[in-house]
Amino acid sequence: MEFKWKKLGLVFNPTEIKDRNWLKEFAQAPSVLVFDKFIRVYFSCRSKPDQNGQYVSYSAYVDLNRNNLFEIIDVSKKPILELGKTGTFDEFGTYPTSVIRNGNEVFAYYGGWTRCESVPFNVAIGLAMSKDNGVTFTKLGDGPVFSYSLNEPFVLSGPKIRRFDNKFYLFYIAGRKWILDNGKPEPVYKIRMAISDDGIKWIKQNRDLIESRIEENEAQASPDVIYYNNKFHMFFCYRYSTNYRGKENGYRIGYAYSDDLMNWHRDDSQTGIDISKEGWDSEMISYPHVFELDNKVYMFYLGNQVGKYGFGLAQLESYK
Amino acid sequence: MKWKKLGKIFDPTEHKLPNNCFEFAKSPQTLIFENFVRIYFSTIEKESTGKFLSHIAFIDIDKNFKNIINISKETVIKLGNLGCFDEHGIFPVNILRNGDKVFAYTTGWSRRVSVSVETSVGLAISEDNGLTFNKIGDGPILTSSLHEPFLVCDAFVIKFNNSYHMWYIFGTRWVENTIDTIPARVYKIGHATSNDGISWQKEGKQIISDKLNSDECQALPTVIYHNSKYHMFFCYRQPIDFRKNSNRAYRIGYAYSVDLVNWIRDDENVGIDVSKEGWDSEMLCYPHVFHCNNKVYLLYNGNEFGRNGFGLAVFEEN
Repeated sequence: MEFKWKKLGLVFNPTEIKDRNWLKEFAQAPSVLVFDKFIRVYFSCRSKPDQNGQYVSYSAYVDLNRNNLFEIIDVSKKPILELGKTGTFDEFGTYPTSVIRNGNEVFAYYGGWTRCESVPFNVAIGLAMSKDNGVTFTKLGDGPVFSYSLNEPFVLSGPKIRRFDNKFYLFYIAGRKWILDNGKPEPVYKIRMAISDDGIKWIKQNRDLIESRIEENEAQASPDVIYYNNKFHMFFCYRYSTNYRGKENGYRIGYAYSDDLMNWHRDDSQTGIDISKEGWDSEMISYPHVFELDNKVYMFYLGNQVGKYGFGLAQLESYK
Repeated sequence: MKWKKLGKIFDPTEHKLPNNCFEFAKSPQTLIFENFVRIYFSTIEKESTGKFLSHIAFIDIDKNFKNIINISKETVIKLGNLGCFDEHGIFPVNILRNGDKVFAYTTGWSRRVSVSVETSVGLAISEDNGLTFNKIGDGPILTSSLHEPFLVCDAFVIKFNNSYHMWYIFGTRWVENTIDTIPARVYKIGHATSNDGISWQKEGKQIISDKLNSDECQALPTVIYHNSKYHMFFCYRQPIDFRKNSNRAYRIGYAYSVDLVNWIRDDENVGIDVSKEGWDSEMLCYPHVFHCNNKVYLLYNGNEFGRNGFGLAVFEEN
């Protein structure tokens, strides 16, 4: 079996937004909430870097016309989440965010960023709820809902929340080690999963779901799962452990399938999408998000410089 | 309660310690053997940058607490790998004999940018009677959660009625500091239970009421069962200006419970206070209570958080 995706082009370019000083660059990790007339696409963005070149990331949304996903109807007036208080896990950023409806509420799982001394950052996963259809969110607490443990010692990030058979599944990444590349710490992370009845108390599976392919220290991210044609499909992205900010070692989209959500078979040859010869996604593609809408299957994804200039759309042409 | 002070029993500046440590013997913790007591403590290495790393060391002392018969020569517990919760120090540690193994509940330190530090509780296990310990994972066994957002540390673990109980502290907020430019931490005592000593369920609340004010810092709980009651000792202080101002520095507090759930704070009956002069005249901190020789003893630190060692007191029955 093989997927075949038709690229439809860049949908949202954050550098074209002029009146929001917290939204200057990047539109990363798109995540969709479907409404009657539009779809709300959450993404994470950044203000301009500070004098030390450091960024703070925020999460926001753009509403797209359901009948024309290239028509922008609205952009959130302010970030959906405030940064955390002094010393909390999400003091320096909320990125990425994954949303799901739960009754009349919307749950948002997000990576909260703090800054460290020996390594540049650490990340843990927070939870916030919205009672106004995802316009504003309130955190459940000052701390993370999903934090470090014996074999997941740091960098818990990239949450993707799903519900199958009345159980919540959180696909995420966990840091394995920090390696030094010419003295600069670079994180290695792998795809993991946890299961919950209520979305708040989680049981970690405590194992890697996806085998590494390109090297032992392959970093894997954005584990996005969809049930389609009687199977579970996961699209994710992966990169080399060093020199990954350019074309050669940068992110590509990988693929795995499963019958039971527990055992996954990686087969990148079925992915059906790669970098373009030229243009906004010619060096890397990453952070896939796959969703069904009006009997079609779409994928949002990031291009060069991990979404500095926004995200684009592809449509599934065939799966056979 | 009444404690009779027996004086300082160990001064780290008078001995050679592993890991280039030269000062401080903080938070003494015991492991009892037939003919001696092993007392673990946290001591300090100065890095070339001028910052400090805490390491665990121990002494073996006879049961009269007079003769030191051995001092650890090797690293007892290694600090964590790059980016791990215990990369920049282990302080304190709590020791629990568990069958033929010895469990060490560590507080690991890692440095932050907007605040000085974050901590979590780890577990290392010894199979050589506590000479050396191996961590059971790179990560912590107890860490931040929704309502305990940072600074989970100071674990004390004991087994009562086939259940493991942990008392520990968690941060509630970082407050503006009028003495230093960096924020100051506020923390409270919490409680968790476990069936195996590894996987824990937090009770999720502050269990000891505040005495000074809502920003009182409560630290290092230690619990003992004696005379049909559970007794908890801990230390407490003001959140700022507590290092050099004796009136705001650590003192030892006390609470008791009959059911391990409800604790009644009763500092009036703690039975120990700073001395008029000497090594423990300005502060008392990091208490550790234990049974030995059919008596109840209290190890603790004095001035400057134990820069010059720890002392001992014995409980005087009525």
